[in-house]
Amino acid sequence: MFSKILIANRGEIAVRIVRACRTLGIEAVVAYSEADRDSLAVQQADEAICIGPADAKRSYLLAPAVISAAIVTGCDAIHPGYGFLSEDENFAEVVRAHGLTFIGPPPQVLERFASKEATRRLLGSQGLATIPGSNGMLRDDLHGLEEAERIGYPVLIKPSAGGGGKGMRMVRTPRELEAALKICRSEARAAFGDDSLYLEKWLEDNRHVEVQVAVDRFGHGVHLGERDCSVQRRHQKFLEEAPTPALGEAARNDLAERALRAVVAAGYENVGTLEFLVDTAGNANFIEINCRIQVEHPITEMLTGIDLVVTQIRIAAGEPLGFSQADISLRGHALEFRINAEDADHDFRPSCGVVERYLAPGGPGVRVDSHLFSGYEVPHFYDSLLGKLIVWGPDRPTAIARSLVALDELVIEGLVTNIAIHQALLRNETFLAGEMTTNLVDRVGAAAFLVAGAR
Amino acid sequence: MPNRDEAARLAAHARIGVLADELLPALIAKLGATGLGELEVREGNWKVRLRRPADGVAAGPKVATGRGSKAAGSHAEHAHPVVTPGPAHDQYRSAATSPAVGIYHPRPEISSGSRVRAGDRIGTVDVLGIPQEVVAPVNGVVGAGLVESGDVVEYGQPLVWIELISAPAERTGRDA
Repeated sequence: MFSKILIANRGEIAVRIVRACRTLGIEAVVAYSEADRDSLAVQQADEAICIGPADAKRSYLLAPAVISAAIVTGCDAIHPGYGFLSEDENFAEVVRAHGLTFIGPPPQVLERFASKEATRRLLGSQGLATIPGSNGMLRDDLHGLEEAERIGYPVLIKPSAGGGGKGMRMVRTPRELEAALKICRSEARAAFGDDSLYLEKWLEDNRHVEVQVAVDRFGHGVHLGERDCSVQRRHQKFLEEAPTPALGEAARNDLAERALRAVVAAGYENVGTLEFLVDTAGNANFIEINCRIQVEHPITEMLTGIDLVVTQIRIAAGEPLGFSQADISLRGHALEFRINAEDADHDFRPSCGVVERYLAPGGPGVRVDSHLFSGYEVPHFYDSLLGKLIVWGPDRPTAIARSLVALDELVIEGLVTNIAIHQALLRNETFLAGEMTTNLVDRVGAAAFLVAGAR
Repeated sequence: MPNRDEAARLAAHARIGVLADELLPALIAKLGATGLGELEVREGNWKVRLRRPADGVAAGPKVATGRGSKAAGSHAEHAHPVVTPGPAHDQYRSAATSPAVGIYHPRPEISSGSRVRAGDRIGTVDVLGIPQEVVAPVNGVVGAGLVESGDVVEYGQPLVWIELISAPAERTGRDA
């Protein structure tokens, strides 16, 4: 096992990883940018070291700075969290070349799953149904038009790298496609330094369901059930729950087992998530794999009682999983609310400033993963996630009832947050019926949800 | 009028240059040799004042490393790891700061009392074997070092003071 881990991330996930390190008796060093000098993770860490200025390209995304910080502080492993360098196979390779361990899949595994389009074909060959899409990356606009014609409109343009909805556009006509390709290409280049795009068939009413897996170095793998992330705004998840209301128990089990078999056969290692789009008939089509810890991992922890970050560290250290599928039971229902500093009344514009007052909710089944504290100044350089409220109940109605109480208790003053839209969703008939689809919030408009919720 | 102002300004700058080149190195050597905390020299409209850091050697930020291994899980006993760097400049001096996280090496030919200009290389920080240049932020004279050669330094950490020559003197000149 490692003795000292460098955490190359910020915000709530840096705090989460510090906690996992403490649990394992490992020292935690937080690498931070100048903008995060006063952050909670820096305060809680055993050690902290400044790696660069606020601009992430010169700090959290700068591989030499991160690795140098790990070496000079005597760390033996680097935890990249999510985003930033977490799925960069070149970074993982350089980390290994310096005698350190990358906490995630080994570099050769990351490389195998680096291209989303190639991964879709790889797992397709392992028996997973995949969503119809372009053959390979789009060479140029003409190739894009031909492929879209073959797949059939509407299609979704997706970048090969990255996530978070950047460089993604749904188009219904060739004219829209031509215009959107240019935008997506420049967005993808700016966000991920890679402008290769591919196409996917757009399913009108789909649910986003993802399967959490954990596979150790010895090829022993388990699934930890699925999560439903159908509540999205512009391809960004903001409310997740497990189990998914979209599928019955047998279908859920079947999907999770097929997903696990396919990734184990494809040689995956460490924790990972396979994302599927489920159509109205209940058919699950594989779209992509995330080779890292995900923002929404806590709802799986609430259902299984398994610490996924600890599991991730143990697998990276070469330890066997230590439990089998038979040891895993999924209990009750959990919801996660991403609390963002954004203004729903003004097109979800990010807000920043000083947190004048912060009060976290409590009670049975309530968990808050956040880096906030009263007096904390939210820097404007990074994403708007302030934290996550995770609520568990023995069943979905209880979890929802507890969530309403918890959201009501949560106090964040000094910033505009999206708490109101969560409260509105929990009173929305479509959500209560478990029938949210990924584009519903955008189609109806967030404002309409808010107005309906306020009544 | 503008011409006379311009001429006066140029004359003032020339005077500052002479002060900096001739007077300051001598004064810094003198301050170093004595136990004095502060030295002030007046000449006409000009005044040059040198002052030692309050605690003899300025307290730079301690990079969170080299503190030895501790019993895991006993973080309550840990010295607080987060140290806010002292200000990197004041009225009299400006610190050269680290461009990266790594190991610091000053240039051997640069030592306390050396005259430097803004942008001059005064040392390097080794990042994975690749040296990153440490440059003087201002014109001045190299003063007290805040870290030792071979020390681990973090990004933005003050490494060595550069004692200012022109700014305070010029300010005083205008006030007079």
